Amino acid sequence: MTLDLPTKRQEAWKWSDMAALEAAAQSERAAPDVAPADLFLDIDGPRLAFVDGVFDPTHSRPGPVNVTAIGESSGHPLGKLAAGEGWLVRLEKGAAVTSIQIVHIGTGADNHVPARIELAEDATASLVETYAGTGWANRLTQISLARGARLMRSVRLLQKSGFVSIRDEADVGEAASLVSVFLGAGGMGSRIDGEIRTSGIGAYAEMGGALLTEGDQRQEAAVVVDHAMPEGSSRQIWRAVAADTSTASLAARVEVKRHAQQTDGEQSLRGLLLDRTAQVNLKPELEIFADDVKCAHGATVGELDQRALFYLESRGLTPARARALMTRAFVADALDRIGEEAVREAFAADASRWLEVAL
Amino acid sequence: MLKIEKLHAAIDGKEILKGLDLEVKAGEVHAIMGPNGAGKSTLGYVLGGRPEYEVTGGSATFRGEDLLDMEAHERAAAGLFLGFQYPVEIPGISNVQFLREALNSQRKARGEAPLSGAEFLKLARAQADALGMDQEMLKRPVNVGFSGGEKKRNEMVQMGILDPKFAILDETDSGLDIDALKAVGEGINRIMRKPDKGVLLITHYQRLLDYVEPDVVHVLADGRIVKSGGPELAVELEREGYGTVAA
Repeated sequence: MTLDLPTKRQEAWKWSDMAALEAAAQSERAAPDVAPADLFLDIDGPRLAFVDGVFDPTHSRPGPVNVTAIGESSGHPLGKLAAGEGWLVRLEKGAAVTSIQIVHIGTGADNHVPARIELAEDATASLVETYAGTGWANRLTQISLARGARLMRSVRLLQKSGFVSIRDEADVGEAASLVSVFLGAGGMGSRIDGEIRTSGIGAYAEMGGALLTEGDQRQEAAVVVDHAMPEGSSRQIWRAVAADTSTASLAARVEVKRHAQQTDGEQSLRGLLLDRTAQVNLKPELEIFADDVKCAHGATVGELDQRALFYLESRGLTPARARALMTRAFVADALDRIGEEAVREAFAADASRWLEVAL
Repeated sequence: MLKIEKLHAAIDGKEILKGLDLEVKAGEVHAIMGPNGAGKSTLGYVLGGRPEYEVTGGSATFRGEDLLDMEAHERAAAGLFLGFQYPVEIPGISNVQFLREALNSQRKARGEAPLSGAEFLKLARAQADALGMDQEMLKRPVNVGFSGGEKKRNEMVQMGILDPKFAILDETDSGLDIDALKAVGEGINRIMRKPDKGVLLITHYQRLLDYVEPDVVHVLADGRIVKSGGPELAVELEREGYGTVAA
């Protein structure tokens, strides 16, 4: 397979680790070292497992989720590679399906799965995706929310190596709500890439999460929220924690079109360096053409507060536990956006496990 | 219990403690008074083990062990408590979570069984009640949004929960109104006035000493103890000022 990948010369890809992606794509497949049962959370709801991008019916009970060829295509350089069979959640007006779980296990080489989520008026869905194993997992997820529809999506990247690239393209209608929370707490490289358009009045869009990197790992998120209609709100709350010589990068952009008055945008990008040799890149961007808008934004990178660490240690916590507690608190803002308690706790536990190893 | 001999300590290359001698025996409360810049807070931090402070000479033993050889958390497990002049705000970590982990970490280091969540809450609530701190504040992030007085009460609640052998209280009386001062004073007496415990009160003013009567009062000036006496020394200092008494 020859890949036509973006290069560092392109501004939107300057922090990307395409070398890690290529290495993952060229790796050999092997027997899986993790089973779907280990990755599903203990909550009721439809379950789908994909192994190397292929639907695994024996470990799935898809319920209302269809496994089918997804016709849509994308102009995105990675997203367009995800074509063919994937999964589809299409809900009728007022329908609700909660706690859909989708588990992706890779054993090597590359795999590409497209997905589509279409919620009709006032429909509600929540889903959790988990990535484990190795290789290059490439995904395109197209989301369309009609008036008043609500989607809560939680995605955790736990591959121990390889690369995960995610491309989200979402259209959020009038008074609809999209909340996507990502956690990068594995050993893989990653690119989380999102483009959210609010196409109805009063739409709410949120895309955020936490990227935790160690070793020489590189993870990044690049998100654009386009406010095309008035009275919309959006939040981009991202936390990056980098240890050793790793790099975590966050680029978040808010665009407010000329007639998108009374837009309320919040952008909070914060980085924490656990070692001086680590790197966090932050790129907050606002492009506002309307005059009656509120867009709060902040971007900071720092180290753990030495005074606070001493305070915790003086009460008996070991230096490692004090650092873990402080770091967990640092990422909590982003993960607390997850609505379902069991899911939120699972993500917090994943972050804690990462910290125990990294610190 | 605590024995300090010829202690020298510096921060950023500047010597602050210049040969300090002090001994506190079990069952005693000592007060250290002195003007700003005398080295009072430095003494607290050096004994607590704050890494930025460098010990350049002398020794400090705590219950027969070399205190200066221990890390901060080891000093805590050995029974030392440092009450902060400016307790630190820590967003995202609740008081209960922090204190339960701190207590169990100390217990583990001492080879004791950890307290369960229920056992811990019972203990924490009893201490909050005794100090007149709203129990809701136990659930809030550590010191975040607390007033000066609430932070100091929280220090005493922590001291009550951790039940140390020895407390070094750095200007625990500063920023307190009369009610809070009384509550804090009673807290110190209740938790620490015991034959097997000791207290070092670092203070600027005599007013806390109206509630917690010291056995010995020391005057610290320019990094050394320049005068020691009974409780009457504190009264004299308050009346005469440091300039006259320490001269």
